[in-house]
Amino acid sequence: MSEQLESGAPTFLDDYPKEAAVVKAALWSSFIALALGAVFGVIQALHRTNILRLIDSTDYYTVLTAHGVLMVVSFTIFFLVGLFTWATVRSFDRGVESIRYTWTWYGLMVAGTLMAVVAILGGFVPQTDISADVLFTFYAPMQAHPLFYGGLTIFVIGTWLAGADWFWSWRAWKAENPDERIPLQAFMVLTTMLMWYIATIGIAIAVVVFLLPWSLGIFDQINPLLTRTLFWFWGHPVVYFWLMPAYLLWYTVLPTISGGRLFSDPLARGVFVLFLLLSTPVGIHHQYVDPGIAEGFKVIAMTNTMFLLLPSLLTAFTVVASVEHGARQRGGTGLFGWLRALPWRDPAFTGMMLAGLMFAAGGFSGMINAGMNINYLIHNTIWVPGHFHLTVGTAVALTFMAATYWLWPQLTNRRLFSRPIALAQVVIWFVGMGLMSNAMHVMGLFGVPRRTAEPQYEGFEFVTSFGSITELRLQLAIGGTLLFISTVLFVSNIALSAGAPKLSGLGKPLSEPLSGAHDSPEILDNLKLWFGIAFVLVVLAYSLPLASIISRGGVLGPGVDPVPMIIEPLGATLEPLVASLQPLLGRLAAVVGGVGA
Amino acid sequence: MSGENTVREIGHDEFDPYGTLALILIYFAILSVMWVFMYFVEFLGNDLTVLA
Amino acid sequence: MNIHNYEKLWLVLAMVMIIGFISTVVYGATAVGIEMVNDEGGTIDSTALEEDDRFAEPRVERVGDNEYEAYVVARQFIFEPDPIEIPANSTLTFYVTSPDVIHGFEVVGTNANAMVIPGEVTELTVELNEPGEYGILCNEYCGGGHHTMEGKLIVQPEDEFEQGGNDE
Ligand code: HEM
Ligand SMILES: [Cu+2]
Ligand SMILES: [Cu+2]
Repeated sequence: MSEQLESGAPTFLDDYPKEAAVVKAALWSSFIALALGAVFGVIQALHRTNILRLIDSTDYYTVLTAHGVLMVVSFTIFFLVGLFTWATVRSFDRGVESIRYTWTWYGLMVAGTLMAVVAILGGFVPQTDISADVLFTFYAPMQAHPLFYGGLTIFVIGTWLAGADWFWSWRAWKAENPDERIPLQAFMVLTTMLMWYIATIGIAIAVVVFLLPWSLGIFDQINPLLTRTLFWFWGHPVVYFWLMPAYLLWYTVLPTISGGRLFSDPLARGVFVLFLLLSTPVGIHHQYVDPGIAEGFKVIAMTNTMFLLLPSLLTAFTVVASVEHGARQRGGTGLFGWLRALPWRDPAFTGMMLAGLMFAAGGFSGMINAGMNINYLIHNTIWVPGHFHLTVGTAVALTFMAATYWLWPQLTNRRLFSRPIALAQVVIWFVGMGLMSNAMHVMGLFGVPRRTAEPQYEGFEFVTSFGSITELRLQLAIGGTLLFISTVLFVSNIALSAGAPKLSGLGKPLSEPLSGAHDSPEILDNLKLWFGIAFVLVVLAYSLPLASIISRGGVLGPGVDPVPMIIEPLGATLEPLVASLQPLLGRLAAVVGGVGA
Repeated sequence: MSGENTVREIGHDEFDPYGTLALILIYFAILSVMWVFMYFVEFLGNDLTVLA
Repeated sequence: MNIHNYEKLWLVLAMVMIIGFISTVVYGATAVGIEMVNDEGGTIDSTALEEDDRFAEPRVERVGDNEYEAYVVARQFIFEPDPIEIPANSTLTFYVTSPDVIHGFEVVGTNANAMVIPGEVTELTVELNEPGEYGILCNEYCGGGHHTMEGKLIVQPEDEFEQGGNDE
């Protein structure tokens, strides 16, 4: 097949062997997290639908914490740092300034992850008092072991240092190229990191100032609304932190693999600037139905959120237009006929396109979530996981997997083990997610809650207006199983590629935009200006709500005691059951721990 | 830069992404209809609206 | 800067859509009168609910013609009072708080859905016209027994409610 032909160009590994090693290590960390997360994911999908029960329902929440943290912290962010290192080095065309420094931040991120994962998996081992069954949102006054908060802190510090690494490269590059525009990929990396620095202020204060000392017993009360609000200060922009690497790939790699060129470089820059400005002052949209926050603040958050749709809607146009450009260069014609001229047999292409299609659907359920009063309809129902498995769970995750099929040969000088399997893998993911997410959305509309181990309640039944709950549960479980299979295919395909013979000339140069950087106003590259405005917007959006929360409940909130989340068996009736399950869980924990190490 | 499968080079000024425009207009229509359905039928038609 | 005409058109349409969404929400808030849960419920010392007039004894109270208030405590892993009973054709205001962790308060299959945060009182008012039964569940993870946390809201036919001589 023609797409498989080597271009004859040198690869990233040929040009930057030391950096390629870091990128590979980061991607492997990401894939290990994905594989473990998928094991937990399928356990959840089968357990909460009552189809197959490997665990006790009280342990469901340990599993769910592990799934959430491994997926949205480890899988996504390790991939991000790997990809951003590649993109920075590639687009500046210079190695990192100090490879030891680069390994240092990577090492910190690994150490932080291991600490948090140990704290979470401790929940399976009742003999220890280590546990962190607090889910990835860790709302106080539920309390986790200090190891959990410590691990998160170290992980985030690692990402800060990673960002500094890329800014360091920028400075060095600029000294040598004072009059050049920042290359597009580097521009995307730098604006994303500026957003991240602002966003992490919230989580850093929540964890380092409040939760960590509180879990160590330094003080024993906390204002739960304050830490929750600080969490969501970070919790929305982190969504864009997951998404921006996928956007980087859609803007800079997808046009090339579809045979075309990016439609507009200036627009891409403008979009990233908009994300920097608007991602953070919106977090209160996760708190539309919270007490203690005035309606006015919620209206402001909604307005900002709705405008945050704009850069994504613009992206949809530019990216599809770039793909259309590829199709027409490949001879495609007609209003829709050009779609047939695209390289659908290329797993990297098809994976990214399916991811984008899912994002269009996820975008819609996101608009519903964002619509303030309509949020009453779906808040904390399983509609919400239905939504974000389309966005982070597919738009991001599937794009990462698809991009790996394109990038991996250039990091290893080896071909992929199997392209047909890769193609099947992305399609299975799409089908599996279609089923799982659809079932979740529909069940959510009938009031089925998220984050629950049991499919039903004693005193009432869920009333459906179409379809039956049993059918929907089955659909969810089948979807989850397909996703698990897809993940196994992905990870083993990459692992088996290590056995392919070494080749040379697997490099894949990227095409230039149709409307290039010289077309975009210089001001777009003024990072200080955008950072300044973004910072001011955040101060405007958050100073009044935070002041009000503190003046109502105090910094440490009167009268809220910690509730350590060491899950005790639920009374004597359950004890024999739990005891009988312990050996199984011990073994599971040992296996999981063994793989993770 | 052009791929191996390029049968013709198309520059910025000769490229009219009308296929994209058609797709995105369809998306726009779907979003609008679905929004109205979700808001006015699913939400406002639902029981127990919070009135204060 | 080179922006294609189609792209400009899309930019305009996207803005129209965004403004359309915001307008719909504003319509719901003003014309329909849907209010968000807000800061008007006030704060409370969550370690001393037993000293609070409203929450020491969770209950439903009649406060006017067809007007009722329910003081509800959501705690690991129950709602009190349970069931909440009320006659049809009345306006009910829930005041919900928690002595331990964050919970959710969802009247199943309806728009009455809010967070319950220790230290804060969640206030929401709904109209109950038809007799019937609703489930109530906690939709925020609150510990190992979270999935067992449920309650009931029973709307009695008006005449039966009087006869039952329920909570005053
Ligand atoms: C193998 C594929 C996957 C399966 C079978 C799966 C399954 C599930 C299920 C059933 C839930 C709902 C649990 C509940 O609320 O009770 C869930 C939650 C979640 N999933 Fe996945 N998932 C998968 C992949 C992913 C991916 C790729 C991501 C993100 C990158 C992700 C992120 C999350 C998050 C953040 C939650 C919410 C956790 C919480 O509520 O605390 N999942 N998953
Ligand atoms: Cu958000
Ligand atoms: Cu709960």
